[in-house]
Amino acid sequence: MSERLTSRLGWLLGGVVLLAMPFYLERFWLQAGVFAMAAAIGAIGLNLLTGSAGQLSLAHAFFLAVGAYGYCVFAGDSGSATGLTGWGLPPVLAAVLAVALAGAVGGLFSPIAGRVRGPYLGIATLALIFIGQHVLLNAHDLTGGFNGRAVPPLSVFGFAFDDSATVVAGVPFRSMEKLWYLGLALLAAGALFARGVLRGRPGRAINAIRDHQTAAGVIGIPVARTRGAIFVLSSMYAGLAGVLLALAFQHAVPGYFGIVLSLEYLAMIVIGGLGTVSGAVIGAAFVTLIPQVLTKYSESLPLVSAPGTGGVAPGEASRYLYGAAVVAAVLFLPGGLARLPVPRWARKGARDKAPAPTSRNMEVST
Amino acid sequence: MNGPQPLTVTGLTVRFAGLTALDGVGFTVAPGTVHALIGPNGAGKSTCFNVLSGVYRATSGSVRLGGRELTRETPHAIASLGVARTFQNLALSAHSTVADTLLLGRHRLTRSGILASGLRLPRAAREAGRHTERMREIAAFLGLEPYLDAPAGLLPYGVQKLVELGRALCMEPDVLLLDEPIAGMNPTERQHTAALIASVRDSLGLSVLLVEHDMGVVMRLADTVTVLDFGRKIAEGTPGEVQNDPEVVRAYLGEHQETETPR
Ligand SMILES: Nc1ncnc2c1ncn2[C@@H]1O[C@H](COP(=O)(O)OP(=O)(O)OP(=O)(O)O)[C@@H](O)[C@H]1O
Ligand SMILES: [Mg+2]
Repeated sequence: MSERLTSRLGWLLGGVVLLAMPFYLERFWLQAGVFAMAAAIGAIGLNLLTGSAGQLSLAHAFFLAVGAYGYCVFAGDSGSATGLTGWGLPPVLAAVLAVALAGAVGGLFSPIAGRVRGPYLGIATLALIFIGQHVLLNAHDLTGGFNGRAVPPLSVFGFAFDDSATVVAGVPFRSMEKLWYLGLALLAAGALFARGVLRGRPGRAINAIRDHQTAAGVIGIPVARTRGAIFVLSSMYAGLAGVLLALAFQHAVPGYFGIVLSLEYLAMIVIGGLGTVSGAVIGAAFVTLIPQVLTKYSESLPLVSAPGTGGVAPGEASRYLYGAAVVAAVLFLPGGLARLPVPRWARKGARDKAPAPTSRNMEVST
Repeated sequence: MNGPQPLTVTGLTVRFAGLTALDGVGFTVAPGTVHALIGPNGAGKSTCFNVLSGVYRATSGSVRLGGRELTRETPHAIASLGVARTFQNLALSAHSTVADTLLLGRHRLTRSGILASGLRLPRAAREAGRHTERMREIAAFLGLEPYLDAPAGLLPYGVQKLVELGRALCMEPDVLLLDEPIAGMNPTERQHTAALIASVRDSLGLSVLLVEHDMGVVMRLADTVTVLDFGRKIAEGTPGEVQNDPEVVRAYLGEHQETETPR
């Protein structure tokens, strides 16, 4: 079987399984799945910036927050009893605007993101996290302060993503079932878009900047502008992830969008594999699903126990786990999980295509 | 564009803290010629290239391509004026395929941005197809076709040098700056590459500024030779004139006795 056909079949099968999930999974797992999809979208964005362009960012959580709270403000009820600002826009428009807002804020920062290189950008972006936390906790009108604010449910042309049940094939579809499909569609679109970018002219340019900045400039790539643009794109992916996360949580709180979240996203792309779309998706699934698995089965797992009962809490245990996974990936799997050893039969096709390079088979044309 | 314009360097001085790498150097690369820039190690040849390509700032002096002053331009602006260069030490992405590396040279000639590539607009696909075709022609010209799908970093050093030359040629430059293009190659590859450089000048009509330690190749290829020593120009002329210049013999050939690059 050709490699291409195998991978096509794999995608088809995976797609069918993912589409069928809402008919079989309980709400807990559906929600976990939506979190994973949202995280995957965010991780794709971070991987474009950090994996492919070599620019470290610790501000990813900040842009997730911009997306999440932006959506809440744009879609929130105007003049409601809660005293929160809301523009009362149609939710779809609000979601689009929230993503655009994340991009615009990224654009404001892009003069710095374009000029500051690699690890130094990581330090510069730290400032955004602190500013973000300060604003989230203090701009009560917009964010609801420490306790956060409720997230208005999405509705597309009158089709509401709330808990009013629509029965499909005997299964009541509530918010999570609907969000599952929304997440799947957005993730597929986001992944395809990122692949197009990476395989095309912009992808080649950012890889060149990452690997050899001087040469990239000499080749004719405007280094600062290109870096700035990819920072904006990455911010928009984070914004979209933020909107989807908010919809799944149904309540946005500032504490979630701190530095730890940024580090989790970095863990995702390191574990999954730097610079590839599939790496981001696999890493996001790994990092978001492990705490859920541990929470769900904490009674039956040794050492792990419910929070507050002594022993290691699931959240904490999962952090140890993917901390170890990061170290393992760096030491043993430089390409991340996406580059796990491929079975021999699958690799053969790829090897046949590239000729074994030798310096002998060069003809002298004189 | 209607062919290359003269590249004129006048009074070029570059100082690094306490060290004068170039001291009032001047020369002109005539359109469509191979102009060699030679000199012992540390003479300032690569520094000169770095100024010409906008990587280093000149302390004083000027570099003009036709009527355009280049000393205050950014590297990508200079590239867009039709100046391409290769590096003395390889500057390739090890994991990128040879095809992708060569296509990188088409960057300034193509337009597809994030949106067009991400959405796979037909416009982007057409552009990619057109430029991939031209890239294959250039690869065939250099004998790189068998390597197109291989990651550049896995290739032998000599082939990597050729890939870098190919990336520069893919920019369709008017002026090509080659910093030791055949250093580290085996004799077969050297001969092949030297012939390619001659044919680039003859068939494409480019101006070539060539830094090279292999005197045999310099004497054969160059129309004009400029000799630097400790950042100063000590001689200039045809290969024959320069070869017999007593100052050059003393500064360069006499002391070092090297016709092959030591590094
Ligand atoms: N960025 C820099 N900072 C400080 N000194 C530098 C820098 N670049 C070059 N130099 C110095 O300038 C002088 C000229 O170096 P350059 O690389 O131009 O020599 P070269 O003629 O290319 O020599 P080679 O034949 O060894 O390549 C050397 O003394 C070098 O140490
Ligand atoms: Mg040099």
